[in-house]
Amino acid sequence: MQIYLPIAEISVNIFLLLGLGTGVGFLSGMFGVGGGFLLTPLLFFIGIPPAVAVSTQANQIVASSASGALAHWKRKTLDLKMGLLLLAGGSVGSILGVQLFSWLRSLGQIDLFISLSYVGFLGIIGGLMFLESVRSILRQRAGKATARGHGRRRRTWIDRLPFKMRFPQSGLYISVIPPVLIGLLVGALAAIMGVGGGFVMVPAMIYILRMPTNVVVGTSLFQILFVTALTTFLQAVQNQTVDIVLAMLLIVGGVVGAQFGARAGRHIKAEELRALLAFMVLAVCLKLGWDLVVPPADLFVVLPHGSEGQ
Amino acid sequence: MLGALAPTAALAAAASLNLQGQPQIITNEAPSIVAALTHETVEIREDFAGLELVLYGATRGLTLQDEIVVVLRGPGEDLRVMRKERNFGIWVNSAPLEFGDVPSYYAIATSLPLDDIATPQSLAGSGIGLPAALAIMAEPTVASTERDVSPYLSAIARAGRRDGLYEEAQRGVEVLDGGLFRATISLPPLTPVGNYVADVYLFRDGRAIASRSASLRVEKAGLERFVYEFAHSAPMLYGLICVLLATLAGYIANAAFNRR
Repeated sequence: MQIYLPIAEISVNIFLLLGLGTGVGFLSGMFGVGGGFLLTPLLFFIGIPPAVAVSTQANQIVASSASGALAHWKRKTLDLKMGLLLLAGGSVGSILGVQLFSWLRSLGQIDLFISLSYVGFLGIIGGLMFLESVRSILRQRAGKATARGHGRRRRTWIDRLPFKMRFPQSGLYISVIPPVLIGLLVGALAAIMGVGGGFVMVPAMIYILRMPTNVVVGTSLFQILFVTALTTFLQAVQNQTVDIVLAMLLIVGGVVGAQFGARAGRHIKAEELRALLAFMVLAVCLKLGWDLVVPPADLFVVLPHGSEGQ
Repeated sequence: MLGALAPTAALAAAASLNLQGQPQIITNEAPSIVAALTHETVEIREDFAGLELVLYGATRGLTLQDEIVVVLRGPGEDLRVMRKERNFGIWVNSAPLEFGDVPSYYAIATSLPLDDIATPQSLAGSGIGLPAALAIMAEPTVASTERDVSPYLSAIARAGRRDGLYEEAQRGVEVLDGGLFRATISLPPLTPVGNYVADVYLFRDGRAIASRSASLRVEKAGLERFVYEFAHSAPMLYGLICVLLATLAGYIANAAFNRR
């Protein structure tokens, strides 16, 4: 059964969209990630114009992060103060990202930029995650208990930055500059890549801000919820590229898939889960990178031009 | 028209007069053509997945040597065509050329292969056939004296054919008894919205001796139209509703999840 998407202006099989939403929802429920980094490239592959895919994906992430953020809010496993700081940076990042997006689109370079961003970020994050999980699997095999924390926190360059603030929920006393910068980067990623940015923010919170792991996911979801909501709104206002019909189909599939994924994930060990996720991230990265390098089937690209084009 | 003006002045004058609907003196029955489409408007709704249009018509004074050519042309659009070039190992869009008023849809159906109906020059003169239509309508809007435009034009043609937007059906016109004819034209799922013009030509001896136009409008309807117009006329409200709906969906998912 085909459905015509009003903003994307193409006709797509409705079951394909529901299936994509469910499949990626399953993986995101299993791994505890947003899944935007998988769904956005998949939308490109089925022919959704990149501008529409990225903006609509932001809208889909609003739904998936809302349900997660609510759960963490009830359990009080989020650092509201830190979340608000990240959000402040994220809002600025999102506004800048949407402007950059419009500008690159007018130059005809948006596809390349999106692909390069994906290859760069997925490559770095996937590589780091893979190394880290392999190391911890090996450590477990060797029978050593995982070293919980490193005793006293080592002093780093982070501690020398000014404008320090206390974060009771995380038990931190650090400068506001790193959280704001991390938020800014993640907000820009949401606008340009159509991802929540959890895959950047969670490692950054753990390794750079050294937040306790129990509040990391909740705080990250809190920030993602508001940043993607803002991004959706800005893309709708500035570029008219949010397709609500597409978003709703992806949301319905994603919600159902995430439930099953979360159950499936309980039977796998955390380290192995992370290694698997790293593997998937690297696979998407390689696919997109390969497409950049391999000679294209058609040496010319025809792009719509003018105020309305994608 | 250009082709018709070339060889014999008298015939050419008669032909061009005929195009304006004036009676011809040479034969007792002036050749003429009428045509209509099965649809005056095509509505794109949520279940739109392409459509077969039928153009039917009648001719007067049709002889065995006469052939019929049907052209359906979509609204013009502005395009930017870029050539991919390898930079540092990756393929980058470069050397852009901009084209204005390129037909967003172009279908041609004929009663004989187009090459057998008229010479390429004559067709090019009247702008019939995809290469001619592109060459006439699509003017590079950026100064491009130093660059060869033809590979860019063929790239536009390739892209259009890939999406089913440019179609050339050899023998797509069926000639029935009594000067009646019928042409089937397919609109693909990617059909652009706007005003379409169907031109029907009667060819004799390689020249168009009669023609007629019919118009077609493709528009969004129902939910598609509502969403599209809403998104463009009240983008702020639309954006807010998108966000609220998604938040609500997340809330419902959370509530449903917690109950189990």
